[in-house]
Amino acid sequence: MARFRNKKRTPFVRVRQFTKKQPTVDHVTGDKIPKSFVFCRGKLPGTLRQLETDLRKLMLPFTALKLKEKKRNNLKDFLNVSGPMGVTHFLILSKTPTAPYLRVARTPQGPTLTFKIQEYSLATEIAQSQVRPRSPKDLFKNPPLIVLSGFGTGEQHLKLTTIMFQNIFPAIDVNTVKLSSCQRIVLLNYNKDTKLIDFRHYSIRLQPIGVSRRIRKFVQNHQVPDLRNLQDVSDFVTKVGYGSESEVDDEAATVSLPTDLGRVNRASNKSAVKLQEIGPRMTLQLTKIEEGLCSGGVIFSEYVNNDKSKNQKTHDEEDNNEEEEEEEEEEEEESEEEGEEED
Amino acid sequence: MESVEVANRGKRRNSGKKKGKMASKRPRLNEYKVKIDKKMKKVFEKRARDYNSDDEDEDEDEAEFTEPKRKEEEEYEVEFSDNDEEEQEEEDGFKRGEVSEDEDGGIQPGITKFADGIKAFRLAFKKIVKKSGDDDDVLGPVLSAHKKLIAEKLGEEEAEKKVKGEVKKEKNLIREKGHVKPVNYLDAHEKFLLGIATKGVVKLFNAVNKAQTAQRGLNPSRSRDEKVIKKRRKEAFFSELGRTSSQSAKTVVKVGTSGGSVDDDAPGWAPLRDNYMLTNPKLKDWDKMQDKNDEDDFGRQPQTDSSSDED
Repeated sequence: MARFRNKKRTPFVRVRQFTKKQPTVDHVTGDKIPKSFVFCRGKLPGTLRQLETDLRKLMLPFTALKLKEKKRNNLKDFLNVSGPMGVTHFLILSKTPTAPYLRVARTPQGPTLTFKIQEYSLATEIAQSQVRPRSPKDLFKNPPLIVLSGFGTGEQHLKLTTIMFQNIFPAIDVNTVKLSSCQRIVLLNYNKDTKLIDFRHYSIRLQPIGVSRRIRKFVQNHQVPDLRNLQDVSDFVTKVGYGSESEVDDEAATVSLPTDLGRVNRASNKSAVKLQEIGPRMTLQLTKIEEGLCSGGVIFSEYVNNDKSKNQKTHDEEDNNEEEEEEEEEEEEESEEEGEEED
Repeated sequence: MESVEVANRGKRRNSGKKKGKMASKRPRLNEYKVKIDKKMKKVFEKRARDYNSDDEDEDEDEAEFTEPKRKEEEEYEVEFSDNDEEEQEEEDGFKRGEVSEDEDGGIQPGITKFADGIKAFRLAFKKIVKKSGDDDDVLGPVLSAHKKLIAEKLGEEEAEKKVKGEVKKEKNLIREKGHVKPVNYLDAHEKFLLGIATKGVVKLFNAVNKAQTAQRGLNPSRSRDEKVIKKRRKEAFFSELGRTSSQSAKTVVKVGTSGGSVDDDAPGWAPLRDNYMLTNPKLKDWDKMQDKNDEDDFGRQPQTDSSSDED
C-alpha cells in the first residue's frame, strides 16, 4: 500500500498578533481611532481579574482582548509595544490593601488619571441578578457610545476627565452613522456632593410602541399564540391587556427612526429606547491626575498635604519594583501604616 | 473424613461446625501439634467466612459453648470406653475437657483461639464502650488513662483553628474589598442613571434622525447639492442640539461632528479641509453661546490637545 501523504499539511505558524488588522484612521472623520490596552499591575485576586476581562470586553473592538501580560513586564514594555500598534490609551488596574485603583492614561506621555474604585460588580453577577439577561451576538462588534453627565461644573480636573473619556472611544459621525451599529452605551455620572463617579454599561434595544404587547411579542418571537380561549382572531388582535409598568413609556424615551431597523422597527414610526445593563458596574473616585504616564508632576490631588506623598509612594513603588511583587505589597502595607501613624 | 463419620455415628450433632471440631480432635490427640492439612484448612476458612459476630449474643455463645463441651465430654467418655487402647487419651481428653471448660478451648490452638479470641475481644470492647458512653463527647472512648493530656491537645487544636480562621477571614476581607454583589431589583439610583442614559441616547438618535432625513432628499454626488446638504446638515444638527441641550439637564453626548467643523466650500473628506485639526471659529462661537447657560458641554471639539499628533 502506498503511503498517503497529507497534502493539506499546514505550515507551522506562530500566531503572535493580538489585535486584528484594524484601520488606524477613521476614514470618515479623518481622526485617529483610539485603541487601548487594559492590563493589571501587581498580583490581583480573582475578582479583579474578572473585572479586567470585563473592561476589555467593554473596550472592544479597539482593544487587545487576549493581551498576554507576564509578571516581568514593565510599563516600558507596554509603551514600546503600543507605539507600532497604534495604542493610545492604557487602562491599568492595581490593588492596595485599602482599595483597588484604576488608572486611565494617555500614551505616550499623556496625563494619567487615578481613580479609586470604591465599589464594583462583575458582569456575570449583574447578569445573574437580572430576570432576562440579554446578550446578542454582535453586541461587541461596534464601539460604545459614551454619555458624561454632571461634569459641567467647570472645574479643571473635571474638564480633563471629560476630554480623556471622550477620546477613549472613537468619534461618531452623525450623518453617516448607522443606528444599528450603536448598540452599547457607557454612562459616567458625576455626583457633586459625594464626588463619586458612577460607571455603568448598558445595551440598547429598540422596541416599537403603539402596538399591543401581544402582537409585538408575536412578531418578534415567531411563536404561534394560544388561541384556545378566543372565538376569533380579531379577539387576539384587539384585546386590551392590562398595562404593565414598562408599557407606560415616557414621551422622552421615544425616538423616531430614520431607517428600518430589523423587521419590527420601521422608519418614521415611533420606537422606544430600552436599555439593559450589561458589563461591570463601578463607583469611582478621582484621586489624582499626573502630567506624565504614571509619573510627572501632580496636577490635581484629592487629598492634599501628607496623604499625597503616601499615594505617590505606593504607586511609584508598584511601577518600579514589578519583579518583587510580594515584597511590593509588604512595602505598600508598611508605607501605608507609616502614613497612618504620621497622621 | 472416615474418622469423622466413625466418631459421630449415632450421635446427635449440634451443627456442622462442631462436627469438624470433633473430627479433628481425634488425629490431633496423637500429635499435639498444630498441623493443618488441606481439608482442615478448608474447614477453617469456611468457619472464618461464616463467622459473624452480629448474629451471636453473649448468651448464645455461652450456651453454645456449654453444649458442645458436654457433647465433647460425652463423646470422649463413650469413645474412650470403647477403646481401651487410648487410656492416655482418656486422661488427656479429660484434662482437655477440663481445660476446655475453663479456658474456652485451649485444645485446638488453630481454630478455637481465632474464634474465641474474637469473641473475647468483642466482649472487652463492648464493656469499654458502654463505660465511656458517659464521658464527654470530646474524648470519646478512651482506652488509656491519659485523659487530661488528650483534652489539652484537643483544646490547643481548636484554639489554633480559631486563630487561623480569623486570619483567613481578614485576608478574604482585604481581597474582596470593594466587591459588591448587585441586588435583584432596580433601586432608585439605578433607575435614575438608566433615565439619564436613555435621555442621552434619545437625543443622539433624534439628532441622527434629523440629519439623515434632511439629507435624504438630495443626492450627495452632485456637487451643487453637496454644499446645500452640508449647510442644511450643520444648521439642523446644531439647532437641534442647541435646543435640546438647553432644555435637558447636564447631559453630554459624545458625537464627532465632521459637519461641525466645515465651511461651505470645504471638501467632504476631513483632511482635505483647510481647517482640519484647527479650531473652527463657528464652533467656538457656538461654545461661547453655550457658556452662558453653563449647563452643557456639547460636541466633540476638534481641538487636539488630548490626541497626540504623532502622524
